[in-house]
Amino acid sequence: MVSLMKIFPRWRRTFLLLTCLLLGVALVASLAAASASAQTGGISTEVVTGGWVQAASVTANGSHIVIGARDNIVRVVDAAGQPLWEFTAANSILGVDTTSDGAWTVVASEDRNVYLLDAGGAAQWQYRAGQAMNGSQYPAYGSIVAATSDDRSFYVLDGSGNLVWREVLGIDVRAVAIYGTGERARVVTGSDDGYVTIYNRDGGTLLTSRLDYDVQSLAVTANGRWIVAGTSDGLVSLVDGSNGRVVWGYKAGGEVTSVAMTADAKTILAGSRDKKAYLLDGDGKLLQTFPMQSEVLATAISGDGAVLVIGSANNRAVLIDRHAAEASHTQAQARGRLINSILLASLIVIIAAAVVYLHRTPTGRRVWRQGTVRPRGLLRSMWRERIAYLMIFPTLALLLTFNYYPAFSGLFHAFTEWSPGVRTEWVGFANFKFLLTDRFFLSSFRNTVILVIVAILKTLTMPLLVAELIFAIRHNKARYWLRTLFIVPLILPLVVEILLWNNMYDPTIGLFNQTLIALGRADWTRAWYGDERLALGSIIFIGFPWVSAFALLVFYGGLISISEEIFDASKVDGASGFRRFLHIDLPMLIGQIKLLLILNFINAVQTFELIYLTTGGGPGSATYTPALELYYQAMRMHKMGVASAIGMVLFVIIMAGTIVNMRFMRSSIEYEA
Amino acid sequence: MDTAVAPTAGSARHAREDSRYRWRSAASQGLIYAILILLLALTFAPLIYLVILSLKDNGQIYGRFWALPNPVRWANFATALQVIVRPMINSIITTVSSTAGTLLFASMAGYAFARRRFPGKELIYTAILALLMIPPILTLIPAYVLIYNFNMQNTYWALILPWMSGGQVFALLLCRSFFATLPEEFFDAARIDGASEFASFIRIAMPLSIPILVTVAVVRLVTTYNQFMWPLVVISSPSRQVVAVALTQFTSEIGITDIGPQMAAYILASVPLIVIFSLGMKQYVQGITAGGLKA
Repeated sequence: MVSLMKIFPRWRRTFLLLTCLLLGVALVASLAAASASAQTGGISTEVVTGGWVQAASVTANGSHIVIGARDNIVRVVDAAGQPLWEFTAANSILGVDTTSDGAWTVVASEDRNVYLLDAGGAAQWQYRAGQAMNGSQYPAYGSIVAATSDDRSFYVLDGSGNLVWREVLGIDVRAVAIYGTGERARVVTGSDDGYVTIYNRDGGTLLTSRLDYDVQSLAVTANGRWIVAGTSDGLVSLVDGSNGRVVWGYKAGGEVTSVAMTADAKTILAGSRDKKAYLLDGDGKLLQTFPMQSEVLATAISGDGAVLVIGSANNRAVLIDRHAAEASHTQAQARGRLINSILLASLIVIIAAAVVYLHRTPTGRRVWRQGTVRPRGLLRSMWRERIAYLMIFPTLALLLTFNYYPAFSGLFHAFTEWSPGVRTEWVGFANFKFLLTDRFFLSSFRNTVILVIVAILKTLTMPLLVAELIFAIRHNKARYWLRTLFIVPLILPLVVEILLWNNMYDPTIGLFNQTLIALGRADWTRAWYGDERLALGSIIFIGFPWVSAFALLVFYGGLISISEEIFDASKVDGASGFRRFLHIDLPMLIGQIKLLLILNFINAVQTFELIYLTTGGGPGSATYTPALELYYQAMRMHKMGVASAIGMVLFVIIMAGTIVNMRFMRSSIEYEA
Repeated sequence: MDTAVAPTAGSARHAREDSRYRWRSAASQGLIYAILILLLALTFAPLIYLVILSLKDNGQIYGRFWALPNPVRWANFATALQVIVRPMINSIITTVSSTAGTLLFASMAGYAFARRRFPGKELIYTAILALLMIPPILTLIPAYVLIYNFNMQNTYWALILPWMSGGQVFALLLCRSFFATLPEEFFDAARIDGASEFASFIRIAMPLSIPILVTVAVVRLVTTYNQFMWPLVVISSPSRQVVAVALTQFTSEIGITDIGPQMAAYILASVPLIVIFSLGMKQYVQGITAGGLKA
């Protein structure tokens, strides 16, 4: 029987080798990525303004692009970025919208006015409100104008600039959109209380929908079927205009300042304060990200989705021709394939190097000599044993695909900004730097230390106590039954155990609060998961009295295997009870203790379910764990690179912990062997 | 002390010592029983609570919290079954097929590693064992991206293939050491009869190794059935979701807010594990102790 204890020397070499491998892969991959990312082509045009670009709009065919900036100027340019005309207001421009043919443009300015401009840029009329106008919309084919104002209300004007109605909301509102024409025109607004409301032309409310955070921006299709809303929590949500239900949400890295949508709702462009614009498809799937130099404040998209406009706080609007962008996307994919093949090639090289390295070690040389004498002989003996290679092939193929490749991919992508299928950019240690400023990640470390210590204490106390007590029972049948009964809780799936305890912690009908009420201590009842000081303690308490069936089995098995003679000898020496436990049982169980130490350490560092299913990390960041933050970063923020970096940190911690554990317990290993 | 442990018959003093020893030992045995039974009661309390809740309706739970179920709501189980029968089937399909794959491939490889001598054998074996150092959390996201690139998300394959692969190392460890213990004579006899290597694997090694294969199977079935994070990441469609994740999405996706059926579903979700453990508890214990100590 091969035991780990016996292959120890080989293991130490494996660690060394593994470290070398990691370094090698990282090095090669970094070179590959660096050389690959150097050749990013220019596919966009830039329009430079005198201030932040705060508003943008584009005609249906993308021929006219309207850009409103903080320098009080509305610039209209063609698809190539050549200026067509300009309009200057008395203050910063906060909203622009143009009809689908570009015949009319409506402008909202901080000078408190809404202007309607004709195709040549001449103001037809202006309407003055009490305070700065911060957003405006004009339907695709004219007839009404809607504008929001800093006076916490919004105005609906007819085609000649007369007020039709005004709605005073009493809360900040800056997102507005219009669909339909004439009498059937509808106004959609989004306000800071998270409400998205659809009004008819006369101000009657047709539908409201509630999002969780302040609505910063809105866009709607011409038929009103789909509404896309950007909120301050960084979510881009698609709302079904017929029933107000949220169909999907996409999480950007920061407040979503602007959203735009094509006529068919199949393509959505959202700009966020995380300095990125996100191109999404109709199902909320990320097509592409556009990183900008500074916060994205305005986005627009042409009716067919071919032209994208991204305005940002570095006084620039970027015009992107998506057909060209797609070409570059394919290029990026090719680059990704190149990186992957380099990765694979380096893997092969490294394995080959490892073979050579092992060949130079005494054991390796012995294996080499046993197998063959010369390379030709080697080939011959390999051919003779082809059946053996065939038999290990499926296992090897599976492990290489689903274990080895992901492991190396994870270590490599920890150093990249990774949007799978879109782009992979080498960013060095930026992800790790980000983690150092991420309060959730930092708080998760404190929790991990606590969870590791508690897990180890739990396993080394109660199961060992129970194992010793069962072992001390004289009656054979009773011993058997007690052992079996203690293992019975294994029949509950892990998830069920957590969910069951969730129910017991329930503030209203939970067992704990009900018991306290029954005992007359209603004042002691708590929202156990809701209190920052109690949440982690409550989670740790789950599973009380913590007689882990697994640990119990391991300890009990260990006790059984101690030979009867040793106990007899100890009896003769007068050692009984606690002294026997201390001087005989504990040293004999050191292998089991070591095993449980390692396993519990590894599991506790990766704690996920226990938190995800109970508090979800809250309240605040009180119960975050690194694995939970990894999950959120990857699945909710789509930051695969950051998630990989967390994975790498945990890997290093686990590896270090395991090595320390093995070193620390070295003496006992020889004792057992 | 010496006299207590080694009483000699005949002397009155010794007899007295002996009876005192017996009394003390009976007392300590009683104490042991008392502690163990108390701990058992505490361990089982949540389970009993689960069963009681599963037989109540919301009115009984909110209105008469401490009362036993009256009337007993067996219908809760019918409701729960309707909701989780699909996830249960998904779980069983993926768990069983990934375990079967693990057994097949790992026993094949284990046989080659145990009974054949081929260049690079120990090197490859060490490289496989080195995977024990890779925590699942490191591979989670890249493996998810891999599945995504293969366009396998929301399919059974997204669960079966990685689980099949994930069980290989543990299974290989057990299989290799087991095959190594089989006497060479069996195989020599087969070789003389002209059996191919593959035939002797199927005809001789496999039947002899049923105990170890059952052990591996039981451990793998239990482990994969309990998996939560991986299905959560790669499966988003409710029609393909496994039971562990489906249970947590009970209220939100399926629309049941009744606690009784919820608890009933928890119990039903445990049934496959009850079946596995009632048939293979012994193998499970062997598996985790052997696998644990070797790994």
